[in-house]
Amino acid sequence: MGKLPSGEKILSCIQCGMCSGSCPLGYAMDYTPRRMISALRAGRIEDLYRSDAIWLCVSCFNCTFRCPVGVQITDRLIAGLRVDLLSRGVGVPSELATAFERTARYGNPFGESPKKRDAWTKDAGVDIRVVRDGDSAEVLWWVGCFGSYNKRNQKDSVALARILTALDVDFGILGSDERCSGDLPCSSQGEEGLFYELHQKNMQEFAKRKFKTVLVGDPHAYNAFNKEYPRLGTPLPVRHHTQFLADRAPELRRQMRKEIRMKVTYHDACCLGRRNGEYEAPRIVLETIPGMKLLEMPRNRENALCCGGGGGANWLDSFIWQRTRVPLPMQRVQEAAKTGAEILAVSCPLEIPRFEDAVKSAGLEGRLKVLDVSHMVADGMGLLGGT
Amino acid sequence: MKIAVILRQVPDVVQELVIAADGRSLAKDELTYITNEGDEHALEEALILKSRHAATVTAVSVGGDEARDALATAVAKGADEALLVSIPLERRGDNHGLAAYLAPAITSGGYDLVLTGVWAADQLDAGLAGLLAVQLSFPYVGGLTAVAVEPAGNRATVHKEFPGGRLGVMEVSLPAVLGIQSAEQPLRYASVSKISQAKRTMQVKEFRGSLPNVEGVHVSRLTKPEASAKADMLQGDASRVAETLVRILRERGLV
Ligand code: SF4
Ligand code: SF4
Repeated sequence: MGKLPSGEKILSCIQCGMCSGSCPLGYAMDYTPRRMISALRAGRIEDLYRSDAIWLCVSCFNCTFRCPVGVQITDRLIAGLRVDLLSRGVGVPSELATAFERTARYGNPFGESPKKRDAWTKDAGVDIRVVRDGDSAEVLWWVGCFGSYNKRNQKDSVALARILTALDVDFGILGSDERCSGDLPCSSQGEEGLFYELHQKNMQEFAKRKFKTVLVGDPHAYNAFNKEYPRLGTPLPVRHHTQFLADRAPELRRQMRKEIRMKVTYHDACCLGRRNGEYEAPRIVLETIPGMKLLEMPRNRENALCCGGGGGANWLDSFIWQRTRVPLPMQRVQEAAKTGAEILAVSCPLEIPRFEDAVKSAGLEGRLKVLDVSHMVADGMGLLGGT
Repeated sequence: MKIAVILRQVPDVVQELVIAADGRSLAKDELTYITNEGDEHALEEALILKSRHAATVTAVSVGGDEARDALATAVAKGADEALLVSIPLERRGDNHGLAAYLAPAITSGGYDLVLTGVWAADQLDAGLAGLLAVQLSFPYVGGLTAVAVEPAGNRATVHKEFPGGRLGVMEVSLPAVLGIQSAEQPLRYASVSKISQAKRTMQVKEFRGSLPNVEGVHVSRLTKPEASAKADMLQGDASRVAETLVRILRERGLV
C-alpha cells in the first residue's frame, strides 16, 4: 500500500461506503472503491489485480466528490492501480492499449496523421490562423483530438471558429504542432509515462508562442491544463469555451439573430462539473439564445449521471458493456427525454457521438437532438450557413 | 531454446507516401517507419513461447536508425537481446536480397526458431521467411496462428490457417523458420516509461555485413494508383435509397 501514491490518504478511509454507493458502475464491480481499499489494507493486492473492476471505472469523479475524508479515489487510487498493472504489462484491455499506442505514435488516439490535424479548417468558412513558432495571439485555441479529427465534432469546431470570428477575437490554433493533452487516454488511465511525454511536448510548443488565454473545447483537456499541468509545475491560463463565452454573454446576446423556440436540457460533463466545479457557465451561455427554454434533468450539476466515456473508457465500451449490460449514455438520454426536452445540450465532444448512438438505440431518434453548446450559440447568431 | 524474431521497419502509411524525384523510390524525408504488423505478431508469439519454455528471445530489428525504437519496445515487452541490422530503405523491400543479407547474422546466433511475419507491407517479392529458410537450409512453414514446441526442443507443432476456414496442424523439425500470421493472444502492451527505460539500459548488438549482390526484383517506376470507375452515391431519403438499392440488387441478379 505504501507504494501507491494515495497510500497515506487510504489510511484515513473510514469505510463508510459513500464511494461505492455513488459509483454508477459499482453494481458491476466485484471490488468497489471501498472494497479496493479494504483489500489493500489487508495486503490482498494480488486479488485486486485479478479483478476487472479497475478497468470499469469511467472517471466520473462521483466517489472522490462524495468521500467525506478526501481520498483521491479516481486520480490517485484507481489511476495508481492502473499504473501498476500497466508496468507489469498485464491485463490492459487491448482496445485501450491500441489507443495508447496510437497516442504515443501520432499524438491522437485515432491513429490519424498528425499532419492532418488542422485539415478541418479548410471548410470552416472563416479564416483560422495557425500560430507558428515565435508568433502570438490573444487566444490560443487548443482544438483537441476529437474537435480536430472526428467528423461530427469538426462541425462544432467550425461553429466555435465562426463565433470567435464574429466576436472579433484575436485567436489562432497550433495546427499540426498540437498533440493530445494527455488527460483522456493517459493520466487517469494510468499511462503516466505517456502523459509526461505529451506534457513535455505540449509545453515546448506553448513556450514557443505568446498568448493570454488557452481556449479548449474538451473538458478533459481542461482538466489536464487546469489541474494536472500545474501539478507538474506548469500552470496555464485555460478557459473552457463555455466559460469563455459566458464571460462575453452580453455581447453574444447583442449578436443573436434568430429565435430558437426549443426545450433544452443540459448535461453536465463530469470533467467540467464535478471535477472542476464549473456548472453555471454553460447555462449562462445557453440562456443568451432567444426563445430557448432550459429544463433540468433530476440528476443535474454535481449529481449528473456520467456519459460513461471518461478516463479512457471511451475505448472500453465493449469491455464495460460485457460486464454491465446497461450502458450509461442510454440511461442518460432516456432521462433527458423524460424532461420533455427536444435538445440535449452538451459541452464535451465525446458526448456527441456517445449520446447520438444512445439516442438511436433508445428509439429516441427524431425526438431528441444532441448538440454542443457552441453549435447552438452559432445557430442563434445565424452563423451556421453552409455547414 | 533460442528464438530470433525479425522486426522489419516499413514505411508508415498513416503518413502520405510521396514518390521521390527519381520516380522509382519513396521520398525519404517524408517517411516515418513502423514495425511491420505481422512481425509484431511474431514477437508476441515468441514471448508466449518464452513464457512456456526456458527460452531466450532475440529481437532482430531491420532498418535504419528508427529500428532502435523498435528494439526498445521489444525489450520492454520482454525480449532478452537486441540485434540491429542496418540496411538502407531501397534495399529493404527486395526479399531475395534481404534474406541473403540477414542469413549470416542469423546463422551466427545459432537459433532454434526464427519467427517473422508472413507478409511485410513493403515487400516486393515472395515472403521473407521462405527465402530466409532457403538461405539457412532450414524448413519453413508460414501462415501460422499457433506454435507449440515439444519438451525435447527438436520439434514444433504449428497451426496453419487455410482459406475457407480450414485449419492444418503440422509438425516441423527444428531449427526452422516460421511465418506468423497472427499470435495466439492479442499483442501485449509496453508502457511508455518501460520503453524509455529500455532505451536507456538495453545493449544493442549491431550487424553490418556487406550488401549482397542479389536482386530479386528491379523497380523501374512507382506511380500512385489511378482511380478507375467512380462509385455512384445514391441520393434521396432513406426509402428512396432503399428502393434504388433493391432495384440494383435485383437487376444484377444478386437477390
Ligand atoms: S470515478 Fe466514478 S466510475 Fe470510477 S470508481 Fe469513482 S464513482 Fe466509480
Ligand atoms: S467514501 Fe472515502 S472514506 Fe468512505 S469508504 Fe470511500 S474512500 Fe473510504
